[in-house]
Amino acid sequence: MAFIPSSAPFSAADINALNTVVARSSPEQRAWLSGYLAGLAAASTQPQVTAPPAPRTRVPLTILYASESGNSESLALAAKKAAAKQGFEARVVDMADADIATLTKARHLLVYAATWGEGDPPQRAADFYASLMAPDAPRLDGVRFAVLALGDTAYQKFCATGRQIDERLAELGATRAADRIDLDLDFAKAADEWTAGTLASLKPEDDTTSATVVHVDFNHGIGPKEETAPSFTAEKPFEAEIVGLVNLSGTGSTRETWHVELATEAPGFTYQPGDAAGVIAENDPELVASLVDAVGAPPDNALLQHLTHAADITTLSRPLIEKYAKLTGRNDVASIVADAAAFQAFTAERQLIDLFTSYPERLDAKQLMGLLRPLPPRLYSVASSPAAHAGETHLLVGAVRWQSHGRDRKGVVSTLVADRRRAGETLKVYIRPNRHFRLPTDPQRPIIMIGAGTGIAPYRSFVAEREALGSKGPSWLIFGERNFSFDFLYQLEWQEYLKSGALSRIDVAFSRDQPEKIYVQQRLWQHRNEVRRWIADGAHLYVCGDEKGMARDVEEMLARILAEPRAGDADGGRVELKALAKAGRYQRDVY
Amino acid sequence: MADTPADKRSRNEHIKEASRQLRGTIAEGLAAQATAAISEDDQQLVKFHGTYLQDNRDVRGERAKKKLEKAFSFMLRVRIPGGVVTPAQWLVLDRIAGDYANGTLRVTTRQTFQFHGVIKSNMRRTMQAINASLLDTLAACGDVNRNVLATSNPHVSPAHAEALVLARRLSEHLLPRTGAYHEIWLDGEKVTDSSAVAGEGEEPIYGARYLPRKFKTVVAVPPDNDVDIFAQDLGYIAIVEAGKVVGWNVTVGGGMGMTHGEPDTFPRTADVLGFCLPEQAVDIAEKILTVQRDWGNRENRKRARLKYTIEDRGLDAFRAEVEARLGYKLSQQRPFRFARTGDSLGWTKGTKARWHLGLFVENGRIADRPGHTLRTALREIAGMHRGEMICTANQNVIIADVTAAAKRRIDAILRTNGVEIATTSGLRRNSMACVALPTCGLALAESERYLPSLVTRLEEVLAQVGLTDEDIVIRMTGCPNGCARPYLAEIGLVGRGPDTYNLYLGAAFDGSRLSKLYAQDVREGEIIALLTPLFARFAAERLEGERFGEFVIRAGTVEATPNGREFHDKVRLAVA
Ligand code: SRM
Ligand SMILES: Cc1cc2nc3c(=O)[nH]c(=O)nc-3n(C[C@H](O)[C@H](O)[C@H](O)COP(=O)(O)OP(=O)(O)OC[C@H]3O[C@@H](n4cnc5c(N)ncnc54)[C@H](O)[C@@H]3O)c2cc1C
Ligand SMILES: Cc1cc2nc3c(=O)[nH]c(=O)nc-3n(C[C@H](O)[C@H](O)[C@H](O)COP(=O)(O)O)c2cc1C
Ligand code: SF4
Repeated sequence: MAFIPSSAPFSAADINALNTVVARSSPEQRAWLSGYLAGLAAASTQPQVTAPPAPRTRVPLTILYASESGNSESLALAAKKAAAKQGFEARVVDMADADIATLTKARHLLVYAATWGEGDPPQRAADFYASLMAPDAPRLDGVRFAVLALGDTAYQKFCATGRQIDERLAELGATRAADRIDLDLDFAKAADEWTAGTLASLKPEDDTTSATVVHVDFNHGIGPKEETAPSFTAEKPFEAEIVGLVNLSGTGSTRETWHVELATEAPGFTYQPGDAAGVIAENDPELVASLVDAVGAPPDNALLQHLTHAADITTLSRPLIEKYAKLTGRNDVASIVADAAAFQAFTAERQLIDLFTSYPERLDAKQLMGLLRPLPPRLYSVASSPAAHAGETHLLVGAVRWQSHGRDRKGVVSTLVADRRRAGETLKVYIRPNRHFRLPTDPQRPIIMIGAGTGIAPYRSFVAEREALGSKGPSWLIFGERNFSFDFLYQLEWQEYLKSGALSRIDVAFSRDQPEKIYVQQRLWQHRNEVRRWIADGAHLYVCGDEKGMARDVEEMLARILAEPRAGDADGGRVELKALAKAGRYQRDVY
Repeated sequence: MADTPADKRSRNEHIKEASRQLRGTIAEGLAAQATAAISEDDQQLVKFHGTYLQDNRDVRGERAKKKLEKAFSFMLRVRIPGGVVTPAQWLVLDRIAGDYANGTLRVTTRQTFQFHGVIKSNMRRTMQAINASLLDTLAACGDVNRNVLATSNPHVSPAHAEALVLARRLSEHLLPRTGAYHEIWLDGEKVTDSSAVAGEGEEPIYGARYLPRKFKTVVAVPPDNDVDIFAQDLGYIAIVEAGKVVGWNVTVGGGMGMTHGEPDTFPRTADVLGFCLPEQAVDIAEKILTVQRDWGNRENRKRARLKYTIEDRGLDAFRAEVEARLGYKLSQQRPFRFARTGDSLGWTKGTKARWHLGLFVENGRIADRPGHTLRTALREIAGMHRGEMICTANQNVIIADVTAAAKRRIDAILRTNGVEIATTSGLRRNSMACVALPTCGLALAESERYLPSLVTRLEEVLAQVGLTDEDIVIRMTGCPNGCARPYLAEIGLVGRGPDTYNLYLGAAFDGSRLSKLYAQDVREGEIIALLTPLFARFAAERLEGERFGEFVIRAGTVEATPNGREFHDKVRLAVA
């Protein structure tokens, strides 16, 4: 039995030695030792370390998180470290693995919850969330809690999941120990502060219920710093040279999909297949100019720099319109945010520039900058393999362009890559690990990789990695796009992988090659017997790409396929799929 | 006729032999999803099924960089003996063009349609759609008897109707009998597994190796030589007495294809073999075809056409062998006279108060272009028309058997779609260009996409000398294979390289005499510079009724080419 945890500030050998001694000591001996050592410390003349409370006085703390892309998860892990320093005995639980009893047993509870879809909980947390919301959820009297909600003000239902959890916990009788905080994409610094403050106040009771949205500039924010902190982050990215940049979509395509090769040979720049890379955003200088022009601000360099590199100048969010209404005193602007329908009607397919041109007012630089939230980076699934593409990080970026209200619109980062960068220039990047999208540790395991469009990116990483490592497990790629002739991303490489055996099988679904639409889920259904056989053989299932446009339908289809042998019991299929997810055999990387 | 030993037989011969009557691994190839291509051997075999694997040459350069294979797709060629389809069939073909092909229908120089741009995953359903309309693509390409042509429009006279009947009978009789076509494209499931050997008797006429090379058959009714009978392996010339076909003159050994720089390859005008009675016509075709099957060159595909068999063995020996197989002798040929190779364009009144519209389709491409929505127009016509719609061997379309009332409606449809009936110049309405780029893998230069603009420039020259209305036959091909029969054009342009052509002059207007090389490797400016003075002289010096093709010979511009053997002789190159 180990008395001294392996995390204790001793060498492994010393921990071993201490354990040997302590293990064979009697309770009396141990009491004597602790008293003696405490007395010794007190008597010492050396400056005293703010000693953590003695182990016996540690407060148990449950840190529960609901995360899809890992932000909440990393905040939860950071919170555990902070809590330990403050004398908590903290345990971090993923909602995916939690059941409702986790809550009834908790005395102190911290929740970090992201919102996904359109105000939905992250997929892996959906079950837990449902049982928490269910009428038969247990009472939680005596539990003291606080919620940190992560979201994005660009979405209508900002932080909906965190809000709902917060309300529900109170409804069920738990006591709010600190106000909930709703954080936008620039959450890092505010989250740290909130965690520190909340930990401090977890003992004293606190009953206020209002929440505040806090913005902190990314580039000045300091993320949780730990020994294991990644070397490069959104705040401190790596400036990588672009060594390859090609639009993979063939002439005639309705798509524009850029393959980007970055030189990332740098100490500490590491990733695993399944990870994503964050790309630091930079706005289109033309849009910056028209924005400055629209508000009539003097276009001095500082302002232009700020708008190009630091401010989100496209997203038209509710808080922003509220601020603009207040700043300008315009009732017509205020009325946009006054009711949901008006807000919806105005913001649909509009951006910040439309607000300024529809309700023009002169603003100075300070007023303009004050309106804007920091410019968030964008994530891209890594398309390369550390084993096969050493020193490089490849991304697959679909250029976002559309037209609305008479304007050509461009996705900030995707068109930065497509239009405003050349090979030889640089992009600022960092790795955002995703431990929920991983190759099986067993290289013999079969994998089924389902993806559409840029969703194929991580599979290039997977297959390249498995080939480079000589993994022999069968692999099956099911890929969908619009047109075979133009949109078969990485086609020549898949052909090579099929030849070498690194890829065992490929099925494709091109939606626009024939009068009726064909999507990946139809291919799954067509080959459902083999899909079931692969699953029976232990296959891991992966889904990557567009959530609304693909992943949902694929999930439905997988449930249906699993249900078919049970005479179509759809719920049974869903339960089986959930079991696969729990076992880490059904993983998604969707956006 | 000793058999060519296996080690001498060309690659294609081995592919055919091993193919189990054209099955190969086509079905497996269709199922492979990572590529839009099929194996090289199967590419040879699918031709017999009426389809070619091609790739879009316009984008070849970018593909590998984009990690994409070549932009492969299939060309499909329908088998339509005599070019006659019903409006209902037209509508099906039109829909296929939109659903699976590149949005166009292409009328070919051999009276049928081609679809371009059909990707592999759509091949079966395209084939099935064609089949559901009671058409097929079987033997539209490959080393077999191809689509059989007949002088356009069976409604013109009873002889024309008989020509169509004969064309259909010949086509049916000479079709391959293999079950491969049905198995692969239509039944889908019932493909025999690759190890099975097809039945011995599966191809009674062709045998396991089929022909050494393609084989082309036409039926002509003088004075129209719209089927360009002298360019064909086998031809039938209607001999009409008192309005009835009393028999046919049989022609053999015509062909166009040659290879630049290889003088033992040459275009050749067919010879008349003799005369046969109507009831003998089909049997004679079979015997001629089997002699070519047994005598044709199976070592060198460049010299494997019937024209070389006849050149090498002599017409008399060939006739003797055919007659030996027939068991009777052919009669002496009967006199005939052709007047021209072109179509009757515009409205003509036929018998029984019915009208026919010959509609000029530039280079056969039926497409919708801004201001000129020809495909829509023809679809709308097919939607109301009760007669027939006919592809001509000049890449044009005839709307046949139209009542006076329907004629007015057709005129209105054409007008609304910006299609004019009668405004083209004499040069343009006698122009043809092969497909060439971007789909044809053999093209050395542009053709279909280029000839219209060259004609426009030449029209300016002709207008200056008052020849706008003069019928002058001009034909262009992107390579020397001669798909638009350029060596039978008064002005022939044959691609040599990007923007570069050889210029041939002096073929007969009635299609009976080949042309002669006049200038080598010329570009647009030179072509115009060379033709301008010739047009001027022609306008000034021509005899009554003299054709441009005759004039250039009389004027000494080029020597006449009396037969294929002398095609490369007595060439005097002009310099621009
Ligand atoms: C579509 C068409 C031209 C057109 O613009 O209409 C055509 C198009 C092609 N011809 Fe042709 N030939 C076409 C009539 C002809 C003719 C004219 C005729 O038969 O009256 C000829 C000259 C007569 C002759 O056969 O000698 C002709 C002589 C060739 C040759 C040369 C044959 C030879 O013996 O030398 C080739 C190449 C070959 O066979 O190796 C060829 C090959 C081809 C191919 C299939 C190229 C290939 O082999 O890869 C071309 C497809 C291009 C494309 O993208 O569509 N095509 N081809 C004609 C289709 C006819 C049909 O419906 O069956
Ligand atoms: C975990 C994860 C992995 C990802 N992996 C990849 C990847 O591998 N490849 C990839 O390309 N992307 C990936 N993405 C998406 C990527 O992060 C960006 O969201 C995307 O590139 C758009 O960014 P942008 O800056 O170009 O566009 P933005 O400026 O952010 O604009 C996008 C916004 O514009 C609006 N919009 C877009 N199109 C329309 C339209 N037609 N009509 C109206 N409004 C529209 C929408 O509000 C949309 O949210 C991933 C996202 C996540 C979260
Ligand atoms: C596809 C998608 C949908 C999202 N939907 C919402 C939403 O409806 N409301 C919201 O506040 N945030 C939304 N977000 C923002 C996320 O909540 C935010 O990125 C958060 O930091 C993710 O945390 P996680 O990494 O822990 O999952 C969405 C993000 C994505 C990519
Ligand atoms: S003539 Fe040559 S270029 Fe033209 S279609 Fe025939 S093979 Fe192709």
